Amino acid sequence: MRLPARLAGYTVLVAVGLVALFPLLYMVSLSLQTQAETMQGTPVLWPAEPQWQNYSTIFDKAPFGQFILNSLIVAGTISLAHVLLDPLVGYAFAKFRFPFKETLFVAVLGTMMIPFFIRMIPLYVTMANLGWLDTYQGLITPFLMDAFGIFLCRQFIQPIPDDLLHAARIDGASELRVYAQVILPQLKPALAVLALFTFVHQWNEFLWPLVATSTQEMRTVPVGLTLFAQEEFILWHLTAAGAVVLFIPTAVLFLFSQRYFVRGITLTGLK
Amino acid sequence: MTGGLQRRYARTALLFITPALVFFALFFYLPIGNVLATSTMTGVRADQFVGLGNFSRALADPAVRHSFLVTVGFTLGVTVGAVVLGLALALLLNQNLRGRVLFRALLLVPYLTSVVVVGLMWRNILNPNFGILNRLLGSLGLPAQNWLTESPLLTLIGVQLWSQTGYVMVIFLAGLQGIPQMFHEAALIDGAGAWRRFRHVTLPLLAPTTVFVSIMAVIGGLQMFGLPYLITEGGPAGATNLSILHVYRAAFDERNFGYASAMSFLLLLVIVAVTVVQLRAGKKKEVTL
Repeated sequence: MRLPARLAGYTVLVAVGLVALFPLLYMVSLSLQTQAETMQGTPVLWPAEPQWQNYSTIFDKAPFGQFILNSLIVAGTISLAHVLLDPLVGYAFAKFRFPFKETLFVAVLGTMMIPFFIRMIPLYVTMANLGWLDTYQGLITPFLMDAFGIFLCRQFIQPIPDDLLHAARIDGASELRVYAQVILPQLKPALAVLALFTFVHQWNEFLWPLVATSTQEMRTVPVGLTLFAQEEFILWHLTAAGAVVLFIPTAVLFLFSQRYFVRGITLTGLK
Repeated sequence: MTGGLQRRYARTALLFITPALVFFALFFYLPIGNVLATSTMTGVRADQFVGLGNFSRALADPAVRHSFLVTVGFTLGVTVGAVVLGLALALLLNQNLRGRVLFRALLLVPYLTSVVVVGLMWRNILNPNFGILNRLLGSLGLPAQNWLTESPLLTLIGVQLWSQTGYVMVIFLAGLQGIPQMFHEAALIDGAGAWRRFRHVTLPLLAPTTVFVSIMAVIGGLQMFGLPYLITEGGPAGATNLSILHVYRAAFDERNFGYASAMSFLLLLVIVAVTVVQLRAGKKKEVTL
């Protein structure tokens, strides 16, 4: 590229980068402002004096610690479940022959095309009937497995040579042992992608926890955050502090495993 | 392989997949049946049979129609915007520029941000009284805007594009990098300029990616709930009352599960129909190497 084109390119990139980051940086500023500063007619870019105590106030005004614990339990359990349950199914579809295999695989993949809203009302009714509203099992069970994880594992298992599996079997390894000692070690990158994606997705999830919980004690962080934002009046400094708390785990995970995220997104683009 | 061994393998495989099949049947396929069943009922306990009454009521309801039109507008705006912006940025980042890995990462951050954070922060930024955006525009000499009252739907489209463009860009970037260099070289030798190479080489070879991206954007748009719920609460005067918000309120505010089920089933039909059309259109445009 010639120099003028290059300069124009950088200008666009910097502008787009600023637009992408500004709302998040401003959120940090907002979280350190006084309530008066958040409400004044000429908003400030940065508070006169950073109000760090806003971050402890959110824990006093709402059971924010409980929200975090709930989010960790729900997102953690679901991620763990995906990593434990999806590969075995992917393995069966990648390396075994059995009746109706193609049909069953299409049925599994088809669940990726079922939008959540169509499941929302029946799941709510089912959970209500089971008495599982406002419980961890109610928040977790509908997401225990997912077709994306199964598909991802199958893609990674297919290229493993069959001879490797047969050699292990001839050595007397049981099927579960073949899976644990030959397949699983090859799956590490796929499982890292799967765990990261599932965790971030579930940590951010809003609609199902909003529907399936009604007591403060069972709210997750995203739903709990809306507590400071009810009716006409919103406590913006506290809302922003909570939003920062919600955002930090994702930001940290992304900072340290950016490659896995890019890889995961690219893989979804290939399905 | 002997028949006995083959049967044993088949048994092992079925053992491995049975829990998954049960799970998907119970939590994905059964709910579709349940939604259909509930959609024929009415009352707060959804226990009075009305046949197709909910469907005819939904199809005749002006609020449902309006909400559907708003959803279509939102979806169209987001899809076209995401494809154009995502592709433009991908083309730019596909050039030999320094720091492109950093920029790719940076533009992904909004995509990884929870819809709650996105919604609440933009609600604040766009506020006409104390929002920072109008102040920034003012310091650039631009007039203040009433974002959420004068062009609320367009504003929501903008917020959704802010959060999704990075994702679309990464997918386009992977698609661009999958195009073999020799096609560009061949076109170059034939004397094709940059625009013609883009129009006749890049774009056709990128068609599967474009189809995928637009299907994802359409599904995401038709399913949108968080932004209108958090930023505009569907207003003003229903201008951003997207379908899922309408369904949510019918179900959980008005406790009309039958009616809400019928509406969500209609929306599912729309999503299936649009996806099929998009896949067909994509097939026609696809170029086989």
